[in-house]
Amino acid sequence: MRVMVVDDSEIIRLKISEVLSSEDFEIVGTAKNGLEALEQFKLYRPDVMTMDITMPMMDGIETIKKIVALDDKVRILVISALADKATLLKAMSLGAYGFLCKPFNEYTLTEAIEELIEDLV
Amino acid sequence: MKDDNLEIFVECASEYFTTVTEKSASVSAPFLIKDINKYLSDYTGIIGISGNYKGSVFFSAPKNMLIQVLTAFGVLSVDEAKLMDLVGEVSNTISGNVRKEFGDQFMLSTPIVLKGKSDNVKMTKVEQIYVIPIVWRQYQANLIINVE
Repeated sequence: MRVMVVDDSEIIRLKISEVLSSEDFEIVGTAKNGLEALEQFKLYRPDVMTMDITMPMMDGIETIKKIVALDDKVRILVISALADKATLLKAMSLGAYGFLCKPFNEYTLTEAIEELIEDLV
Repeated sequence: MKDDNLEIFVECASEYFTTVTEKSASVSAPFLIKDINKYLSDYTGIIGISGNYKGSVFFSAPKNMLIQVLTAFGVLSVDEAKLMDLVGEVSNTISGNVRKEFGDQFMLSTPIVLKGKSDNVKMTKVEQIYVIPIVWRQYQANLIINVE
């Protein structure tokens, strides 16, 4: 399964990519803000995206809206520190499939991704 | 911000270290300070707070602590950019997590990162500055709350 990782933190992008690669996902792109994510999405058309919310240039909420307008089948897992219910509900109402609250580790990330795609595999 | 509101920062700081490093930190009760500069360390991540709350949240840590946290997180190739990235990410994560208590009107900026001790940190007009000391392994970091 093809995955794109979107987060403004390089260490978070590295960690997510490392964990998902070890679970046999193919990392097709990484982006540090919503604008980069949109550009790469059009090129690579991933099956799954991990999406931060607080990012410069274009935040995750706006990015989800634009990505889902291009392809409403893509599975988006929001990975954000924003732990309030309003943010979760907004992301889910725009088309995100799952929400993992930072901080995370490889166990919580793997579990969240498995839940995200359980009906696809 | 009242003393009672600060407990959530203690809880979220503690949760960060336990989850990311699998080794708990000793997070002490907040206390009031006058001069923030005495509590700044090698690297500091700053989150601006707006919305129903105003001010800043700082996470300041020594270089060696950040190197060890990165290693525990599985990042073995450590460089200057990753240290600055980490200190910003910790400040962002703790500030974002406290929204479970304060709600979405505790609005966060993206992190600003300072390297080195600075005598020029500009504070908001919030009078009360609290420090929450965080001891992890043999290192001490400080979470500094200047929010009303």
